[in-house]
Amino acid sequence: MSDSYYEEEEFQTKFNQKTFSRILGLTRPHLKWVIGFLVTIALVAGMDAVSTWIGKSIIDDGIVKKNIAALTNLIIGYGALVLVQAGSVFLFIYLAGILGERIRYDLRKKMFNHLQALSLNYYSKTPVGWIMARVTSDTERVADLVTWGFVDSTWGVMSILTSMIFMFVINWKLALIVLAILPILLYIAIQFRKRILGEYRSVRKLNSKIVGSYNENITGVRVIKALGREKENLDEFKVLTGSMYRSSFRAAWLSALFLPTVQIISALAVGAVVWYGGYQAETGSMTIGGIQAFVSYITFMMWPIQDIARVFADMQQAIASAERMFSLIDSKPQIENRPKSIDPGTISGDIIFDHVTFRYEEGEEPVLTDLNLHVKRGETIALVGPTGGGKSTIVNLLCRFYEPNEGRIYIGGRDYTSLSLQAIQSRIGVVLQTPHLFSGSIRENLRYGRLDATDADVEESTKVVGAYDFIMRFEKGFETEVGEGGNLLSVGQKQLISLARAVLAKPEVFVMDEATSSVDTMTEVLIQKGMETLLNNCTSFVIAHRLSTIKKANRILVIESGRIAEIGTHADLLKLRGKYYQLYTNQFRHQMETELNIFKEPEIETPSVIA
Amino acid sequence: MKTQFEIDLQKTISKNRLLGIWRLMQGYRLKYSAAVISLGISALAKTLTFLLLRYFIDSYFVAEERIYTLPILALGFLVLAIAEGGFTFLSGALSSHSAESITRRLRNFLYDHIQHLTFTYHSKMKTGELIERSTSDVDALKRFFADQAISVGRIFLLFLINFIALLNLNVKLALISVIVVPLVLFVSIVLFKKVSTAYESYQEQEAVLSTTLQENLAGVRVVKAFSRQEYEMTKFEKDNWEKFIRGKKLLIMHSLFWPLSDILCGGQLLVGYLVGAIMAINGDISVGTYLAYSGMVIYIIYPLRNLGRVIVQTSTGLVSYSRVMDIIKENREPLDEGDHLPTTSAKGSIEFENVKFEYEPDDHTLEEINFAVKPGQAIALLGSTGSGKSTLVNLLPRFFEYTGGRIMLDGVELNRYPRKYLRQQIGIVEQEPFLFSRSIRENITYGVGREVTDAEVESAARAAAIHDVILSFKDGYKTLVGERGVTLSGGQKQRVTIARTILKNPRILILDDSTSSVDTETEAEIREALNNLMQDRTTFIIAHRIQSITEADLILVMDKGRIIQRGKHADLVNQEGIYQQIFNIQTRIEVELEKELSNVG
Repeated sequence: MSDSYYEEEEFQTKFNQKTFSRILGLTRPHLKWVIGFLVTIALVAGMDAVSTWIGKSIIDDGIVKKNIAALTNLIIGYGALVLVQAGSVFLFIYLAGILGERIRYDLRKKMFNHLQALSLNYYSKTPVGWIMARVTSDTERVADLVTWGFVDSTWGVMSILTSMIFMFVINWKLALIVLAILPILLYIAIQFRKRILGEYRSVRKLNSKIVGSYNENITGVRVIKALGREKENLDEFKVLTGSMYRSSFRAAWLSALFLPTVQIISALAVGAVVWYGGYQAETGSMTIGGIQAFVSYITFMMWPIQDIARVFADMQQAIASAERMFSLIDSKPQIENRPKSIDPGTISGDIIFDHVTFRYEEGEEPVLTDLNLHVKRGETIALVGPTGGGKSTIVNLLCRFYEPNEGRIYIGGRDYTSLSLQAIQSRIGVVLQTPHLFSGSIRENLRYGRLDATDADVEESTKVVGAYDFIMRFEKGFETEVGEGGNLLSVGQKQLISLARAVLAKPEVFVMDEATSSVDTMTEVLIQKGMETLLNNCTSFVIAHRLSTIKKANRILVIESGRIAEIGTHADLLKLRGKYYQLYTNQFRHQMETELNIFKEPEIETPSVIA
Repeated sequence: MKTQFEIDLQKTISKNRLLGIWRLMQGYRLKYSAAVISLGISALAKTLTFLLLRYFIDSYFVAEERIYTLPILALGFLVLAIAEGGFTFLSGALSSHSAESITRRLRNFLYDHIQHLTFTYHSKMKTGELIERSTSDVDALKRFFADQAISVGRIFLLFLINFIALLNLNVKLALISVIVVPLVLFVSIVLFKKVSTAYESYQEQEAVLSTTLQENLAGVRVVKAFSRQEYEMTKFEKDNWEKFIRGKKLLIMHSLFWPLSDILCGGQLLVGYLVGAIMAINGDISVGTYLAYSGMVIYIIYPLRNLGRVIVQTSTGLVSYSRVMDIIKENREPLDEGDHLPTTSAKGSIEFENVKFEYEPDDHTLEEINFAVKPGQAIALLGSTGSGKSTLVNLLPRFFEYTGGRIMLDGVELNRYPRKYLRQQIGIVEQEPFLFSRSIRENITYGVGREVTDAEVESAARAAAIHDVILSFKDGYKTLVGERGVTLSGGQKQRVTIARTILKNPRILILDDSTSSVDTETEAEIREALNNLMQDRTTFIIAHRIQSITEADLILVMDKGRIIQRGKHADLVNQEGIYQQIFNIQTRIEVELEKELSNVG
C-alpha cells in the first residue's frame, strides 16, 4: 500500500452556510425520521429534568411531610417515567441510527454511481486512495453530524433548557447564578474541544507516517540489512514515535483536564447554592428537596455542555468532509454523450483519424500531433515504438476514453462523437497490458465480457485463447476464486482470462495493449491460432512486442514523439532499414535469447534475497 | 525528551497474558498504580460530597444544630470538588502517560526487532500482516492500558467505595440497593457480546464494500471498456444495501441494550428510593441520609452497566497482545556477534570449502561447493532459477548460515566475523532495485553511515551514469522518489542503487545482472556504470546472459545446488556442456536474424 493511502487530508473550513444547508438537504427525503428522533430525544431530555423534580417532591412532599400516599404516587409516577423514557431512548437510538445508516447508504450510492460516469481524465489525476476516503470516511462524518450530532445538540439544549426552567420554578435567584455560569462553561468546553481535536489531528498524521515507516522497513528489509542501516533507521523512527508520544499525551492530558475543570466550575455554583440556600432555609423559602434538586441539576449540567462542545468542534470537520464529498459529486464528466447521440447497432466499418491532435492537460505539449490514419474494415494494425511515444494514447482515443482536442475520428463513416459512448465501448474489445480482474470466480470474471453468455460460450472463449487447460487444472475449474484484483493468479493467467473475456464480448473492433507479454511461448502459439479467425473478422489494433504478432499485422505503425514515423508492412519497413529495422533486430535477438534459453524456469518459489 | 526505560521486551513474554502485560509495564508500574490510587481518591471525594450534603441537610434543615457556618460548608463542597476533579485529572494524566510511554517503547522495540529478524522469517511473513500487527494491534494494546484497564478499575472502585459508604449509612438499604447488580452485569455482558458480534459482521461488510469500491476504481478502464457501469452499480448496490442491513441489525442491538439496562437500573433505583423514603418517614434514617443515599446509589448501579462493554473490549486487547508478542518472540539475528573484528577493510579473498546449505533438512539447496577467489577477481554464476546461485551469494553477508563445510574470508572463517562488519564490506546491486520514498540524494547516501559532501554524491552519481538524469528533474538531487515524487524507470532505479553502492565503497560486490527489462540504450549505460563499480573489487555476478560474463576470472555453472562446470570463458566455450550450448545459441540467433532479413529481400 502506498503512503498516500494512509495520509488523510485534513483541513478545516470556516463555517459555510451553503455547505451546511446542503448537508441538511440530505435529510429531506427522510424528514419523518428526523422529526421522530428530534422529538423523542427532546422528550428524553425533558424527562431527565422531570425525574430530578420527582426526586425533589419525594423529599419535600413525601418524606418531610411524612405522607406515604403522596410518596407512593410519586414512586409510581417515577416508574412510569422510567418506562416511557426507556421507550423514547429506544426510539431515538433506532431512528437516528437508521437515518445515519440510510444517509451513508444514499451518499455511497450517489458517489459510486457518479464515479461510474466520470471520465478517465478524472481518474488519472485523482489518486484512488483519495476517492476511497471520500466514499468511506467522509460519508461517515457527514452522516454522524446529521444524526448523532443533532441528537447530542438537541439533547444538550433541551436538557439545559428544561433544567433551567425547573430551577427558576424552585428558586429564581439561585437559578440566575447558574445562568451566569453557563456561558463560561460552554466557552471553556468549546476551547478544550478544539484543542483536543487539533492534537488528535496531528496524532492521525503521525500515525500514517508510522505506518509508512513500518511499510518501508518491512518491504525494504533486504536493502536495510545489506546496507547495515538498522541503527539510523531506529533513530529516525524514534523521532517519529517521540512526536507521537508527545501529541497523544497532550491530547490525553487535555481530555483528562477537561471534565475536572468543568466539574470544579460547577462546584462553585453548588457552593453558592449551599451558601445562599442555607440562609433561605431559615426563612423557609428553600426546601431540602429544592437544595437536592439544584445540586443534581448543576452537577448534571456538565454532560449536555460537553456534548454541545463536542458537536460544535466536530461540525467543522464534518463540513470540511462534506465539501470534499460534494466536490466529487459536482465534478463533471469530461466525456459525455452529446445531445442526440445515437446507437447505430453496429460500428463495423473503416476507422479514420483525421488530423488528430491530443494533449492530456491544457497547455502541455501534445502527445499526438496531427495524426492521420485510415484503417480499413478487418485490417490488423500493429503499433510499435518507444514507451511514451503515443501508442497507448491512440488506443485511448479510439476507445473514446478521451476525445481529440483537434481533428476528428470517424468510425463506420460517422464522426464518433455523434455516437453514444455505450454504442462504441460495448463493441470494442479491449485487453490491457496490466490485466484487471475482479474478486469472484473465473467464470464470473469471464462473463463480465457478455453478461448473458451461456456456460458453453464462456468455456468456448477460453479455448480460443488457450486458457481452458490451465483453468481445468485448478481443482475447482471455472469456479476457482481469483482473489482480490485477481492476485491469486499469475500475471500470465490473468492476461489469458482478460483476453478470453474480451473474446466473449464478440467485439467488432479489437484492441490489445501488449496484452500477452507475460505468457510463455507455448501458450502464445496457442493464442495465435485461436485468435486468427477472430482477428480476421474484426478491425484490430495491437500494441505488441512479440515479433510474431507484429509480423502478422496488415500494417505496422512506428509511433514516435506523437507522430507516425514509419508506416507499412513488415517487409516494407525492414527494407527501409530505418527505425523499425532497429527495433526489430533488437527485439529479435532479445526474444530468441529468451526462447532458446536452456534454463527452463521452473515454477517454484524459492526464498532468496537476490533472485 | 524524557529518558526511556529500555528493556528487552522479548524477556517479558509470558504464556499468561495478564502476567505478560504486567511485565510489559516494567518501569511504569508505579506511575500506573498511582493513577489507580488517584482514581480511588477522586471516587472517595465524590462519596464525601454526598456525606457532606447529608450533614448539611440534617444540621440546617432538620436538626438545626449548626456547628459549621454556611460559608465553611460551601467551602467544603468546593474543596471536595477540587479534590475530586484534581485527582481525576491526575489519574487521567498518569495513566495516559504510562500508556503512551509503554506504547512508545513497544513501537520502537518492534520496529528494531523487525529489521533484525532473519530472512527466513521475512520470506514467510506477509508484509500486510506484519504492518497490521505493528500498528492496529499495538494501538489496541495502548487502548487497553489507557482506557480499558483503567475503566475496570474506575467501575470497581466507584462500586466499592460507595457500597462501603452505604453500608455505613444503613446496612439494609445498602443490601437492597445491589439486588439487581448481578442481573445488570449479566445482561450487559451478554448483550454486549451480541453487539460486538453484530459490529464485527458490520465491519466485515465494510471491508467487502471497500474491496468492491477499490476494485472498481482500479479497474476503471475495464469497466469503461466493456461499458459495464450499470452492472457495477448493481453490484455495488448489493454490497451497499447489505451494509445498510447489517448496520440496522447492529443498531437494533444497541437500541435494545440501552433502554433495557435503563429499565433495570431505573427499577433498582425505584425500589431503593421507595424503601429509603419509607425508612426516612419512619425515622429509621434521617432526611440527609436519604439524600446522600439517593446520590450515591447512582454511582453503584450505572457504572456497572458499562462493565459489560469494557470487559468485551478488554478481551480484544488481550488478543492483540498475543498477536504482537508472536513477532517479538522470534529471535533476532545478532549483528555484532563474532570474535574476529578486523580494524581495516577486508582484502576480498574468498574460499568455499565443501560448503553445504539447506533451508530444511536434506533439501540439497547447496552441496559440495568448492572454489577460491583472489582479491579483485570477478566470479560469474550461471544457472537456472533455483539452481542455488542466489543462495550461494546470500551466504556471504551471512543472510543465511551455511550448514556444512566452511567459507573463508581473508583466511578467517566467515562465521567468526560479526555480520555487521561483513555487510559493511559487501555491496549488493539487486535485480529489482528498491528505493525508499525519500529524496534521490538520501537514497544514494542511504546506509553510508557518515556525513557525505555533495561533491562525493555527485561523483558517485556520475560514475553510475545517473547524474544527468537527476539534474533533469526540477528539484535535482532533492527530488522525491516514489508516489509523492517522480517515478523512475527500472534502469534509472538500478543506476541510483549503483551510485549508492559506489558511495558505500565495499570490497566485495554482489551483482544481479539483469538488464532484460531495459531497452538497449540504457543497457549500455548500466553496463558502463557496472564496469566502473567492479574496478578493484571482488565481484560475484549472478548472470542471466553470456555477454556480460565473458571477461570473468571464474565462471561457475550451477545446477540443482551443485557446480557442474567451472573455468574461464575461453575454456568453457570449447568444453562440451551447458555453457557451450548457451554460447552457441548466441551465434544461432545472429544466423536466424540474417535469414529473417534476407527473406524479406
